Amino acid sequence: MSTVNHHPESSMLVDFSAGNLATAPSICVSAHLHFCNQCRNELLRLDQVGSNLMSEVEPTEVGEHLFDSVMSQIDQLPESDTAEVSSTSDMADSRYPLLVNKLINGSESVPKWRRLSRWLDVAQVTTGQNEYEVALHKICAGGKTPRHNHGGQEFTVVLKGSFSDEQAVYKEGDFLSCQPGDVHQPLGAQNGECICLSALAAPIELSSPFGFLMKPWLRINPM
Amino acid sequence: MLGFTIKLVDENEEPSKKTVLLSTEKRSDQWSMLLVSVAETRDRRAFSQLFTHFAPLLKSFAQASRHEGWFPGLSEDLVQEVMIKVWQKSASYNPEKASATTWIYTVARNCRIDMLRRKSNTQHLPLENEDFWHEADEETPVSLMRQKRSEDKVQSCLARLPKEQDEILRKVYLEGKSHAEASNELGLPLGTVKSRVRLALQKMQILVAPEFRDEIL
Ligand SMILES: [Zn+2]
Repeated sequence: MSTVNHHPESSMLVDFSAGNLATAPSICVSAHLHFCNQCRNELLRLDQVGSNLMSEVEPTEVGEHLFDSVMSQIDQLPESDTAEVSSTSDMADSRYPLLVNKLINGSESVPKWRRLSRWLDVAQVTTGQNEYEVALHKICAGGKTPRHNHGGQEFTVVLKGSFSDEQAVYKEGDFLSCQPGDVHQPLGAQNGECICLSALAAPIELSSPFGFLMKPWLRINPM
Repeated sequence: MLGFTIKLVDENEEPSKKTVLLSTEKRSDQWSMLLVSVAETRDRRAFSQLFTHFAPLLKSFAQASRHEGWFPGLSEDLVQEVMIKVWQKSASYNPEKASATTWIYTVARNCRIDMLRRKSNTQHLPLENEDFWHEADEETPVSLMRQKRSEDKVQSCLARLPKEQDEILRKVYLEGKSHAEASNELGLPLGTVKSRVRLALQKMQILVAPEFRDEIL
């Protein structure tokens, strides 16, 4: 039984189902789906909408040699090519979504934890785009991160453990969407570290006197 | 290897008999049968029947795209790419989860994203598009009967949607516009676009528990 309580809003799932969601938010939605049975079922039904719309269009005749061309390409296909990504980084975890492990192991430079404050580490991953900065965050047990303001949209999925803010407690699989202007202060749970995946659209402003500690996390580094 | 045996249901058969077949958890539409046949025995005749039916639909789907950088000349490339993927990936088709038409739609959507990404992106992304739709192994699909009911609901509701809801769904699914782009194009506030889509989805009973989804408009 799925215990996920926080989901992406339905318009994000629709854009995902239609194939219109940008890469970084898609990574977060996909990671959430790994944990969330409810959204997986919704996605199945959303795909039926796309499928129905596709099958009701007026068909367009295809070139007469197209079938032969497809068959000759099929005849030249190499035998199955299922190269599994071998786990190289200890940051990967078999309980994570496959795509998160692939991001960790397949990044151009191996992601490394960077200390941002006593309580918070960050590790950036390569995602082939610079609209969003995609990274893993690790909040220590009982950790207190600075209160911060979101200058840009941010999506977060909890991969392991839990944290809370003024609004709620977020557990494994939970999906958070912070809008520009939202202010919050994540607190790590007492019973263990918390690891999150996040995609951040633009720099965040600081609202804590200790805010300077946060800066490296917040700057977007075009890769 | 897939262990599904799928029976063809004669269109003239008694409706009561159809129900019996459905309740024994067999997907019985001809396209799903053909696709399973391609997966299990690499059946080229079945594949050619699928091609005859789907290629012209896929071409229209491709031509409907209004993505930046997309042009009509790409349409037959997309058709070829999708049909080759269908052949290659047919073993991963699970008729307990989706009809062949829905599965082929997802392949087409993914190929379209791949083609666009290849065109616009030269940077390193260590993911293939399929990774985004990778499913957990312990997946327990809803019963086929419930699924069939939901497929019918989607289909019959789509046909009766008010024009303004239908228009947006087509923009999103066929033209490939995001909610934000659709709102720009139609000159409507984003909230209006979102709520029209949500109304349509509620009618089709796609949103499981709308009371738990408190989006801000
Ligand atoms: Zn969910």
